[in-house]
Amino acid sequence: MSNTLRAIPSHVEPRRRARFGTHGRDYIRVGLWIALLISLALWTLPLVFIVFTSLKSEHDIVSSPVFSLPLNPEFGNYAEAIQGGNLFRVGTNSLVIALIKVPIGLLISAAAAFALARIKFRRSRLLLGAIALGAMVPIQVAIAPLFQIVNNAGLLNTYLGVILPYIGFGLPYQTFILYGFFRQIPEELDESARMDGASYWRLFWQIILPLSRPALAALFILDFVATWNEYGMALVLLQSQDSWTVPLAIQGFQSQFTSSYGPINAFTIMSVLPVLIVYLMFQRYFVSGAFAGSVKG
Amino acid sequence: MTAVSSRRPRDPRPRLRRSGFVTALPFLAPALAAYIVFVIAPMIESVRLSFFQWTGFIGAPQEFVGIDNYIHIFTQDAVFWTAFRNTVIWVVLSLIVPLGISLLLAVALNRPLLGRNVFRSMFYIPGVLASIAVANMWRWIYNPNYGIGVSLGELFGMPWLSDVQWLGDKNIALFSVFIAFIWQSVGTNMVLFLAGLQGVQAEHIEAARIDGANSWQVFRNVTLPALRPTMVVVTVLTFIGSIKVFDLIVGMTGGGPAQQTQVLALWSYQESLVNHQYGTGNAVATVLLVITLVIVVPYLVWIARREEK
Repeated sequence: MSNTLRAIPSHVEPRRRARFGTHGRDYIRVGLWIALLISLALWTLPLVFIVFTSLKSEHDIVSSPVFSLPLNPEFGNYAEAIQGGNLFRVGTNSLVIALIKVPIGLLISAAAAFALARIKFRRSRLLLGAIALGAMVPIQVAIAPLFQIVNNAGLLNTYLGVILPYIGFGLPYQTFILYGFFRQIPEELDESARMDGASYWRLFWQIILPLSRPALAALFILDFVATWNEYGMALVLLQSQDSWTVPLAIQGFQSQFTSSYGPINAFTIMSVLPVLIVYLMFQRYFVSGAFAGSVKG
Repeated sequence: MTAVSSRRPRDPRPRLRRSGFVTALPFLAPALAAYIVFVIAPMIESVRLSFFQWTGFIGAPQEFVGIDNYIHIFTQDAVFWTAFRNTVIWVVLSLIVPLGISLLLAVALNRPLLGRNVFRSMFYIPGVLASIAVANMWRWIYNPNYGIGVSLGELFGMPWLSDVQWLGDKNIALFSVFIAFIWQSVGTNMVLFLAGLQGVQAEHIEAARIDGANSWQVFRNVTLPALRPTMVVVTVLTFIGSIKVFDLIVGMTGGGPAQQTQVLALWSYQESLVNHQYGTGNAVATVLLVITLVIVVPYLVWIARREEK
């Protein structure tokens, strides 16, 4: 970004003016800006409606338009949602699953990516392709047999029973991305380390992993969000209400309290809050993760 | 580089190459184990089960029926073709509408503008929300009694708008769900395009401008060609994301009304795990697998070729 700006002969004027100095250009830019603002307003409206509804009493919801302000905020909806949706229980489930799955999955993927990127063996490219393929096939293709496998292992409705398949389905993408990242680390590093007698383990732990911290951090955040949001597999593997994760509880709450619109929306809002907070705190990783993943892939 | 210095660092190599796979195995083993047991094996089992008739209950007999399940879904199962048609519509629309909007947004937000980062962040937000949460939000927005249509209809005095059954009318339900998908996916693609736009050389744009090209010509002849690799990636990611659409449909319509918003991923799941028709359910899954492979394998070959360069 800044390169674009630096390429232009420097002016004392503020950055924005640097490129579009003439008045005609300015009008275009103001028009564009207004168009963007309108689009953004449209984009934000659904969230605004949800927040409004979550703060309205049953009576207000039925008698006033969706976009009217909640003048007498009804916070009881939130209390009701926490109670009825068993929010603490399902929140804990989701958190435990994500906090176990994400680091272990990432480490396993990193090890595999390291072997593929750094250790020369025959057919390693083919193996990479076979692993990458897994990132692209819909889960539903394997969901019924997966249920049988987990069921036969007696792991239905357990943390382990969902963490293991999550790791399996998560690692193709992460391995693929980390492979790309590791390839960019100069190979001379390996060679000099190996000349010094370092084993591949030390190379992995002490050189490659520390150098990959930005990629690992981005993948950690992205995977945390993806794990928190996962619905399709959880739907099949976690059937008892006590083992539910947050997405299952959203759907469950909705079908149990069909017309309690206030609490339903309050529940949806609380369910997305953790992910929103993670997003706002680690925003740059979402961009760099996308960047690492797609363009350099 | 002299002959000596280029040979010396390679010294440890021949020994490694001989036992390369053995050396790599400890690093690969955990990943391969998880991948084979939870991804590959179920997929193969899925294909195998598509040739059997089975209720899915442990102990119930699995009866080999050859290609009967495929004959059934292709010739007798009306829902399969609805699901197939809807999946095709969904994928095609996904490749046009959200991609077009995200490209526009990315190009607009690639310029220096006041509050650009706020715009980017806000457009991206729906993309981090769980699809099932998005589905529930929009289910409320589309509520036939108190939703947005009713309020807008009253506001503008258009009673017909109040009467629209967004998710209940079989002719429009799929498109109503699709609007939620647009809302959710535009931000993610926008970020990918923005990343791709970083690869467009500012000098090339300047040069084109100096040559007298207008904005459209610059976009058409400089920006778009430079975006081609990103375009391929975004297209494939969108394809992968759209062919497995599941959460949004489950959360908003459950496939209804009268199976009119059914899609392949959901139909496969319902046949196997709800209707206990493992044979036909896995036949649908296998069809989905084949469609995916036909698109994805050439992409992987393309990536591999690009890597080699």
